[in-house]
Amino acid sequence: MKRFIDHEELARDSRFIRQDAAQANVISSLPDDVETVVNVFEQFGPIIEAGVRGTSAEPLFEELGPGFMLTVLNEPLDPDAPAAVPRLLLRMHGIFVGELQALEGAARSLWDFPDAPWEFKMNMARQCWDEARHLQIFEKLLVHLGGHVGMYPESTFLFEACCSEDPAMRVAGVNRGLEGLACDVFRDMIRFANKTGDEVMKQAVDYVLADEITHVRFGSEWVKEFTKDNPEHLKRTQDFRREVDKRFSFGGARSDREDAAIPIAREDRLEAGFTEEELQELSEISGVGPSKKTLSEAAQILRDRYHETRKAQQEGASS
Amino acid sequence: MSERMYPGLTQEERTGFAPYSAFDIPADLRELHGRYDVEATALRVRNFRYAEEWMVMMMGGWVATIPEIPVKTGLGKVIWETAQAADELGKRLPELRCGRKSLEASEAPNTAFADFIQEVSNPETPDLTIEKLSGVFDVLIPHLVEIYEMHNRETDAICDAPTIEILEHMVRRKRQHIQWGQEVLDALCDDDETQQRRRDRANQLSGLLKESGGVTGVLETGQASLN
Ligand SMILES: [Fe+2]
Ligand SMILES: [Fe+2]
Repeated sequence: MKRFIDHEELARDSRFIRQDAAQANVISSLPDDVETVVNVFEQFGPIIEAGVRGTSAEPLFEELGPGFMLTVLNEPLDPDAPAAVPRLLLRMHGIFVGELQALEGAARSLWDFPDAPWEFKMNMARQCWDEARHLQIFEKLLVHLGGHVGMYPESTFLFEACCSEDPAMRVAGVNRGLEGLACDVFRDMIRFANKTGDEVMKQAVDYVLADEITHVRFGSEWVKEFTKDNPEHLKRTQDFRREVDKRFSFGGARSDREDAAIPIAREDRLEAGFTEEELQELSEISGVGPSKKTLSEAAQILRDRYHETRKAQQEGASS
Repeated sequence: MSERMYPGLTQEERTGFAPYSAFDIPADLRELHGRYDVEATALRVRNFRYAEEWMVMMMGGWVATIPEIPVKTGLGKVIWETAQAADELGKRLPELRCGRKSLEASEAPNTAFADFIQEVSNPETPDLTIEKLSGVFDVLIPHLVEIYEMHNRETDAICDAPTIEILEHMVRRKRQHIQWGQEVLDALCDDDETQQRRRDRANQLSGLLKESGGVTGVLETGQASLN
């Protein structure tokens, strides 16, 4: 078996539909300009459409057009908002495939770095079991909310973004970038479950969050260990993590901004070994991107244009 | 004698046993005898740890390349429990005079066994779940269970009791792993062709394992078959 695999090699059963990772990457690098955002999404329109056809995301696309992810990502989950259920299921499914890729990332670290210290392998092995349980938990929660595995396309950009071939960068990407994002998302899910009085979801996600804090701690400790006595290596690793954090901020959807859909879980991250300086930096990195107003306007334009085009096509077909 | 010190020491107790024997039932019939001295056991523990550590690594490598979700999640648990086993074996080494830094020591008994392990880890593509699992759950783990149990029968039951304790716990878990692996393989091999693939893989690896002399390099006498 070779060392290091590409995200496209991740093995999936027939239920899964793969999504082009380009969309997620594009979202993380959008400028704060309505016209550019609209242009980018119109350009990606056919790819986005092809990716959702035949999945449960198709109605969202029909309703909102190619910019539907802008609305999904940037509006906080609200049980009373329109399309609350499909949006909740889309988020749950995203978490499920995120856990899957976290399991694969931790497990690959056992094979990709055969000469790593035993204590590192112990931590990664423990994480494999935890992520495997998380996968089982989120499959059950998905069903609990009325969904199922494979109902939305999977983008493997999380694995792509963080699975570096350098062990320090791997743990920085997987255990601090990806697992840190998990802390933010899960704290938000607990808030949502509190609002809806969903005790099943609240307790399960609370346990998962406890595990994730441990995984971030593994990352905090191993980045230090792998880069000790080599400040240049530490710098490169921190730069890599910043890059990952930027991609995982989805253009400000996960940030400290007041209008953020997913706020940064400060307390949880502090407990997991992030420093105040790192959190300050994360706040700055993730806050860069289009404002919510820009994205809302762009989403509205994309939606209107999509419906106009559809209408024109239908009229053309019937005449 | 006014003060009661041992049962059977005063008239009223009327026991026929000698005073001290009341504490000695059942008698310790074990003998101080074992096939392995400290050095030999230390080497065997390093051999065992070599197999366990490589199992952790190869199963970790496979998780991303196996399409079946229940196999991915099941392996997650087996990986962690196997890592715990390797860890326990490592902690035994300093107790066997291997030095304080021997916690991470592992040693292949010979190059043939190291080659065998590499062959077990070889299958890579998503269509080879049967070949992956058969190597570990039909061949390697059953072999380890057999050798661990043999070690426990043959080592000094009193002097080497700490190793016995570790291996007994490992064997209990390995039997659960084998059962899980067999269930998955039985489900995956549901026609003649897949069943033949499983048999071919197990036979090929059992042959290599036998040639290598197994995890300790010296297949013990009296074994009719490996598994
Ligand atoms: Fe997780
Ligand atoms: Fe995690």
